[in-house]
Amino acid sequence: MTVMLDLPSRHRPLALLAVVILVQVLLLAFQIKRDRDVRLVRLWSAELLTPPQHAGRWTIGKVRDTWRSYIDLRHARQENQELRNEVNRLELRNRELESQAAEGQRLAALLGFRQAHSDIPMLTAEVIGASADPASHTIYINRGGHDGLRRNMAVITPDGVVGKTTEVYPSTAQVLLLTDHESGVGALLASRRTHGVVKGTGEPVARMDYVVNDENVAVGESVLTSGEDRIFAKDLPIGKVIGTQPGNPFKTIQIQLSARLDRLEEVIVLLTQQELALKKEAEASPAPSTPRQATSAPATTKPPATKPVAPPTSAAPGAPRPATTKRPTTTKPATTPPGTNPQ
Amino acid sequence: MSVRAQVEPHIEVHKFYGGAVIGAAFLALVVQAFLPPHGREYLELPLLVTLYFGLSRRNPESGLLLGMAIGILQDGMSHVPIGLYGIAKTSVGYVASTIGARIDVEHPLSRFAFTFLFFHFHQAVLATTQWLLLAQKPLYFSPKLFIASLANSVVAVVLFPLLDHLRKPG
Repeated sequence: MTVMLDLPSRHRPLALLAVVILVQVLLLAFQIKRDRDVRLVRLWSAELLTPPQHAGRWTIGKVRDTWRSYIDLRHARQENQELRNEVNRLELRNRELESQAAEGQRLAALLGFRQAHSDIPMLTAEVIGASADPASHTIYINRGGHDGLRRNMAVITPDGVVGKTTEVYPSTAQVLLLTDHESGVGALLASRRTHGVVKGTGEPVARMDYVVNDENVAVGESVLTSGEDRIFAKDLPIGKVIGTQPGNPFKTIQIQLSARLDRLEEVIVLLTQQELALKKEAEASPAPSTPRQATSAPATTKPPATKPVAPPTSAAPGAPRPATTKRPTTTKPATTPPGTNPQ
Repeated sequence: MSVRAQVEPHIEVHKFYGGAVIGAAFLALVVQAFLPPHGREYLELPLLVTLYFGLSRRNPESGLLLGMAIGILQDGMSHVPIGLYGIAKTSVGYVASTIGARIDVEHPLSRFAFTFLFFHFHQAVLATTQWLLLAQKPLYFSPKLFIASLANSVVAVVLFPLLDHLRKPG
């Protein structure tokens, strides 16, 4: 009414008319019901108030989002740096854990190997160094004469032959790896029991010599120690055939060594030449032959040059006996096979 | 609130005896209620009273308030929502007062013509309100409405001189 009284007198009736009409329209709106039994005044109120409510909600939401984004951005750089540091720390920690896990697996394998052959005297040793000469494939282990080591003792891993001890010091020993040029080990093909000598080539792949060209050697065939070198027990896994080609006078056979000589960290030194029954290798042998008959006979007691080849110790029972093993009589390895250095 | 009207200098503003306006309006509503159904369809006594006092008093404010009061009372006595006739008669009261302040409406012919026009104006506002608010089909003109407008105009020519006796002598 105050507003109305402040109006010029010629406009006052019109304003009063508007007010009176509006009041009556609202009065009608309170009484009238439209669709779905909704009073008109309620419908109008909703239509009148909903858009501002939507606008207000949208505005408040935008302001809130903007404010939160600003707050978030304020600490984003610092958090980013902290997270990067955390990622770096976790990556280092992850590497440590992976290393520890790998070490644990290796030690578990060694422990399992020792427990499986508890009757065989052996020592576990850690690799503490390698040769300074890149052409010389040797390593140093933390066991020596005080631990009972002597020269020409077999050094293996659960996977296969590693090499032999060449120099023994009071608390350390030097091991000549199988990949060295000077290295050699009496070997035989697991399925045919064909004898030969595995020699190092200075490369990761070794070579098996003294197998005649007539011998049918399959790729993938396992190669085991023959025990004829009086260093390595019989039937230790050496590797697998990965390639053959005829040569003069003997076939050239390439051997992928079973033991990973490029990542040695722990090894086993066999303190005896007693024969080992390697279950793992027996299970993996692709062509089992005859049942084990002479496994109890130590390799050192066999005259390798004259005695017929003994049945394979890794063969499964019931397997057919292989054909007669052909050995080059002229180049048959003696007690100490060519290329080996037992003493 | 001032009741001063902006009137032409040669137009006379009539004053009425106390209670005359209220009494006339009340009487019109009562008589309207007692009219037979056909009479109610063709005669709009509340409209005539609103129109008369609007044209005579020539004050838009009092004219629209009187129209509003008569209209709302008429709504209350009928089955339509309150405000329907109120809006229509408020508009009639305002417009009649505004026109009455500028044009001499004392002549019977002018009263007849104004009544005829305001009847249809009243009907137009009523129909528009029904259309906009009640979502009803508006009825702006029909032969029946035309006859009713003529009837009300004739009655106004007779009724308005009777109501003139309620004026205070000038």
